[in-house]
Amino acid sequence: MDSQIKHIHQQLVSKEITCTALVQERLDLLKENTYNTVNSLLEITALELAAKVDAKIQKGEKIGLLEGIPFGIKDVYMVQGTYTTASSNLLKNYKSPYTATAIQKLLDAGAIPLVKENCDSFGHGSSSENTIFGAVKNAINPELVAGGSSGGSAVNVAKDYTVFSIGGDTGGSIRQPAGYNNIYGLKPTYGKISRFGLMAYASSTDCVGPLAKTVEDIRIILNVMSGKDSKDQTSYNSKSISEKEISTNTIKTVGYFKNFIESKAIDPDVKADFLASIEKIKATGIKIKELDFFKSDILVSTYYTLAMAETASNLSRLDGTNYGNRIEAENLIETYAVTRSENFSEESKRRIVGGNQVLSQGFSDEIYLKGLALRDQISENFRKDFQEVDVILSPVTPSSPPKIGESLKDPHAMYLSDAYTVGFSLGQLPTLTVPQGTVTGLQISAAKNNEELVLKFANFLKDTI
Amino acid sequence: MSKIMTVDILSSIKGAQPSESVNKLFDVIKNANLTNNNSLNNVNNNCVSINNLREDVVIESSAIEKQLIIENFPNKKNGYLVVAKVIEG
Repeated sequence: MDSQIKHIHQQLVSKEITCTALVQERLDLLKENTYNTVNSLLEITALELAAKVDAKIQKGEKIGLLEGIPFGIKDVYMVQGTYTTASSNLLKNYKSPYTATAIQKLLDAGAIPLVKENCDSFGHGSSSENTIFGAVKNAINPELVAGGSSGGSAVNVAKDYTVFSIGGDTGGSIRQPAGYNNIYGLKPTYGKISRFGLMAYASSTDCVGPLAKTVEDIRIILNVMSGKDSKDQTSYNSKSISEKEISTNTIKTVGYFKNFIESKAIDPDVKADFLASIEKIKATGIKIKELDFFKSDILVSTYYTLAMAETASNLSRLDGTNYGNRIEAENLIETYAVTRSENFSEESKRRIVGGNQVLSQGFSDEIYLKGLALRDQISENFRKDFQEVDVILSPVTPSSPPKIGESLKDPHAMYLSDAYTVGFSLGQLPTLTVPQGTVTGLQISAAKNNEELVLKFANFLKDTI
Repeated sequence: MSKIMTVDILSSIKGAQPSESVNKLFDVIKNANLTNNNSLNNVNNNCVSINNLREDVVIESSAIEKQLIIENFPNKKNGYLVVAKVIEG
């Protein structure tokens, strides 16, 4: 199966290339790049680790599959001793005291982190423009946005600056930028990968996931990062997925949401391309089923209500007391307020304020609690759907990426552009973006903990559409 | 406790006001029809069973971790970490 990781591993083992040369080449590309993908480079440690891999190979020792493979990390993950800014003013000088579990597993497997990657501040955005490091530019057309919030990660993979990158997905933040930059991006089942050391945005939907150029690479990285972690009690044990398991298609029934495709908001080209993909799948003998689902505005509003409530709580700790860019004022309360007012972006403030609105007395019943009830109904809808179909296929976004600057003018329009991704987040389902089918790709979703179905179908689609 | 806390106080953000873009989202929820009001059926139940709770143990931070925590502290003077002024004169 196609795999950049396996290809580079082979080159290293056969001494066709050295790890130092590989890492140096990618670091140079990252340094020179004009797409604003880099928040900080991890040059010294990367070259030290590369030299160790080369020494091992020279001595004739065996190296693991991920050993010496350069990768990128969205700048919301703790990596001990590195700047971890969340692309925010508040944490622009913050250094991680410890390392996130998912990242530690990759380090233990020998992968080499090169870069902390630009993203929307605290994950608050769908375009990677809400950042102090400059808007990330789309890998295909630099006048367009890279998508968000894991925009820097998607562009680094698309441009081959990193072999893979680790993003974070709360409402679509891996899948949408993967679609905008024509690569693969997986949001696994909630809890499959530990969230320990990922800066919390909305804890009930936050997921760690990989972005890469092949399905096989996604499988390899997912296997390494998955598993129960005592530091995240929502994580669980899961079995590894083998290459063989996903090589032959066993999917018999594919569903799609009729109202996504019949929506007025969908671009006619996206609609036509999606339906053409469905026809090609049908032609292989797979049964297609139209499904009913909640209206897009309900999905988006439910997601944002819950995500804003959770982010208001999670970000309340950022007051400049123990860390962060504290701005002193006449007393403690004023210091908190000035620090937060001056350091949070407009979008982060909007979400914090929205969250506190729905959590406050008099509003929580008619908005927040109702949002929770709607979420349960959405999940129940999915449960029933997966009794009838093996996977659900959808577009990633209703339209092509906007121009840089457009999203910031209309926050409500930006929220609505997440219509096709947020539902699967609320359902905590495994969902993969594949760079095929529409201008921003397709999403494949399965029932919880059925990542192998998603990867299997992605392999099948490579040769089908 | 009848004092009303406004969102700027709740959020510790000066001059914060509810935004129109966000209110539009909340209006959709207010007007949404729940098919069943008793629908809280814990589909997304991520609770940990009581038998599965991790041990309540103290883990000593490493020297590098402690050093980084101190390094991150926003204000230092003569070797002391300085907090914001808590007691008003």
